[in-house]
Amino acid sequence: MSLPEAYLDEINALNREILKSKPTDVLQFCANFFNRRLEAQRVEFLLSVSNNSGFSSSNTFGAMPSSSAYVGGESLFPGSGANLGGPPPSGGRESPFSGTITEEDEDVGQSPTTPSFRPAALGGPSLSNPNLAAPPPPSPGQLLFSPRGRFTFGNDQPPHSGPSHLSPSIHLSPNSASPDFPSNYNMSRRTSVSAESLVPSSSNEEWNPPVYPKTSEQLNRLKTAVSGNFLFMHLDDDQSGQVLSALMEKPIPRKGTRVITQGDVGDFFYVVEKGSFDVYVNSAGSMLPGLDGMGKKVNSIDPGGSFGELALMYNAPRAATIISTTSHNILWALDRVTFRRILMENTFKRRRMYEAFLEEVSILSSLVPYERAKIADALEPFTFHPGDVIIQQGDPGDNFYIIESGEAEVVKHGINEPIKRLTKGDYFGELALLNDAPRAASVRAVTRVKLATLGKDGFQRLLGPVAEIMRRNDPRLAEGVDPLSNVGSPGPSGGFDGGKDVVEEAAGRGRAVEV
Amino acid sequence: MEVTTQQTAAPSSLPTPPPDKLLDGEPAIAELNKIDSDIDIDFQSDLLHTPVSGPTQGGLSRLPVNGEAQRGGTGNGDVILGPKEEGRGEGGKEVEMKGVGSRRPSVEDFDLMTTLGTGTFARVWLVRPSGSPPTENAPLFALKQLKKVDIIRLKQCEHVRNERSILEVCRPHPFITHYICSWQDRNSLYLLLEYSPGGEIFGYLRRARRFDFRTTQFYAAEIAMILVFLHNHGIVYRDLKPENILLDARGHVKLVDFGFAKVVGDRETYTLCGTPEYLSPEVIQSKGHGKAVDWWALGVLIYEMSCGFPPFYDNSPFAIYEKIVAGRISFPSILPEETKDIVRKLCTKDLSARLGNMCGGGHQVMAHPFFRGVHWQELENQVHPGPIVPNLRHPGDTKYFDQYDPPSTSARDEYTDEMFEKHDASFRDF
Repeated sequence: MSLPEAYLDEINALNREILKSKPTDVLQFCANFFNRRLEAQRVEFLLSVSNNSGFSSSNTFGAMPSSSAYVGGESLFPGSGANLGGPPPSGGRESPFSGTITEEDEDVGQSPTTPSFRPAALGGPSLSNPNLAAPPPPSPGQLLFSPRGRFTFGNDQPPHSGPSHLSPSIHLSPNSASPDFPSNYNMSRRTSVSAESLVPSSSNEEWNPPVYPKTSEQLNRLKTAVSGNFLFMHLDDDQSGQVLSALMEKPIPRKGTRVITQGDVGDFFYVVEKGSFDVYVNSAGSMLPGLDGMGKKVNSIDPGGSFGELALMYNAPRAATIISTTSHNILWALDRVTFRRILMENTFKRRRMYEAFLEEVSILSSLVPYERAKIADALEPFTFHPGDVIIQQGDPGDNFYIIESGEAEVVKHGINEPIKRLTKGDYFGELALLNDAPRAASVRAVTRVKLATLGKDGFQRLLGPVAEIMRRNDPRLAEGVDPLSNVGSPGPSGGFDGGKDVVEEAAGRGRAVEV
Repeated sequence: MEVTTQQTAAPSSLPTPPPDKLLDGEPAIAELNKIDSDIDIDFQSDLLHTPVSGPTQGGLSRLPVNGEAQRGGTGNGDVILGPKEEGRGEGGKEVEMKGVGSRRPSVEDFDLMTTLGTGTFARVWLVRPSGSPPTENAPLFALKQLKKVDIIRLKQCEHVRNERSILEVCRPHPFITHYICSWQDRNSLYLLLEYSPGGEIFGYLRRARRFDFRTTQFYAAEIAMILVFLHNHGIVYRDLKPENILLDARGHVKLVDFGFAKVVGDRETYTLCGTPEYLSPEVIQSKGHGKAVDWWALGVLIYEMSCGFPPFYDNSPFAIYEKIVAGRISFPSILPEETKDIVRKLCTKDLSARLGNMCGGGHQVMAHPFFRGVHWQELENQVHPGPIVPNLRHPGDTKYFDQYDPPSTSARDEYTDEMFEKHDASFRDF
């Protein structure tokens, strides 16, 4: 015979609380916990009763539209609760903040709703309220705003039987009264998480990630092992290469060795190279002493599998215990600080590089550093392989590109030789930021090319129209001279959309005026 | 009850009684907002950082109480005792305190009444100046105690320093908890803060399960104003959630816990921090993040206030992150279209398309149809009380705060002489 599920839910919830709070007075803590639960459950019950009683439609609270927002503090009769989550009362939106209620005390909940409330209320003895049986209900105005001495001292009736009522941390039970409320959402307070604070190393003290040599098969296996993990998915080749090199071999020679222990702090992520491991979870949230302390076996992990990935983000208690089931196992281990540092150093360098590149873009010469940072923030990296066409002559132009590494060439219909070679720091397609003219030339990758790109829409969302930005430097442009008249038609020198010369010509014109 | 001086009568469309009427009936609340000159303290702010040894003559020392606390004060009847005129410029009301004198306060100057909250390395106490009569109108403060040993163990020195300097910058803002002063003793750092008796919005939300549109809009509006203010000062907050939003006695928000706030200017920063359900994709994927993370979190907050649960949740944090990175949000059908729209726009992975991060910044957020009808100026002046006004029986009523176990001490908690030697320098300028 097994224990009832509802009971197990309660016990598990209690276990979590105990683990979280580590109370000194365990018995008192448990008593408080169950008192709170009881209260919560009864509030739930009342809510559902009031929901079903059609109480929500009787809008006696019309004068206090926001009352529905609030279910009575610790008041046990959330008179307005039936309207929870519903759309705002119609017509009430003109003066949103003027309607106000004092948080209901125990004597508020009864008022306009006494008839529908009393039966339910009487059903719950511990909820009984001395005021409840005292009709007639005051009018809403009186009810809320008359000075009834609620804030004076001494003559206030202690409304509740115990301090546990005052606790706002109610763990609502899953059997929700609201249809689309998730049944598995844990309603308790959430704690903040944080990794070690890291600062990018300055340019003169280069940081080099650790490198543990691996065979190409090992590397491929590792790559496959982490490919589905979102922490690795977006890494570029450099980052990914450094991360994989930094994985350290960790032999686990014996069977029955605990690699990680549920509840312990975690600093490492592991990939299984060889051997097999079992995963145990104790529903109490951490491994306990004793025979069954590891809890239930929930899974097993074979070569290619991985575990402990949360440790790459921040220091959190391990969610499971992992134990070896074979001998001569080999793991690859990676610690959080190394992982995060690799990502940070790469990103930091790339950002600064983008900002430096952007400074060179003529049509963006008037951007202030803050704006360049914003653009750098939004640039998306892309990689093209030799021979790939990056932009195609005649296509509509949407994006602007900066070459991060590698080499590309500009080609044009009817011309056999490439017009121009583009390398690191060169940019093209920037005219797409200005107008919708089709691409005047194609750009093709010669080697493997890493690019950063941003679309016209994105650019404009961040900084506004580029034409406006160009006008900042050139009063004449503001007076109605169209900066695009020359730019739009390819000049003889560049002859393609985004050829540096064309744009420099346009921007140069602006400068000439300024000087 | 000067608290009400800046209030105007409520619009006539709703039968709200004049606010002064409201407060007349609630002397305790008014009292709370008004730290009266003849009851209370004032430590001298410029002396707080220059410990002066020697007897204090059992005299009175002064401590500026900023913002909300002195809002109601008229400024008359202030008697400044001692050599205290110079360099104050706070313009604050003053609260006097026995036995402190011209030195930094210490924890002995306060009665620790009860715990208001606990964190990984901090505990927040409700305190009143010791020796002040335990009457109902004794001035109350929140005292945040941070254990040095835990700060070091969790490598949070940087964050703690940020917290104090940022709170100082934020003093004038009505919706940010007012920082009064700080000090340290051998084992702990202390931040003396304004006490917000309404407790966390979190508690109200969980009990109400969901807020209606108007309530959600009100809190979201005040938070948006805070974010605009912080971002204008180059500060990213990084831990927005209902647990960190308190209510003052009139139901306006007070943002607390600046442990993760940081001055970033226009640069990006890299330390992963926040609360799992509220982390943005760029934080999770370590792409470097900036002020845009707060707008993402505002989207999550609006969703959670409207629905009662956050848009991305799961039993395991890692699964939450997978959902955040995937970026799919499903909305309960009952949500108003404006709510869905603003959440979608704030919780946008593409930084060039995230509301608040685009050209126009936070003002674009404030202009979103979700905030239609919000009178921003009135809101900033707190003309009307909030949608939920805490019903306090007396100013020290802590019924809106959870109950916490008293602090326990264990060997791990000890800040040894060795640690002191090695690390205490990092707290020198606290």
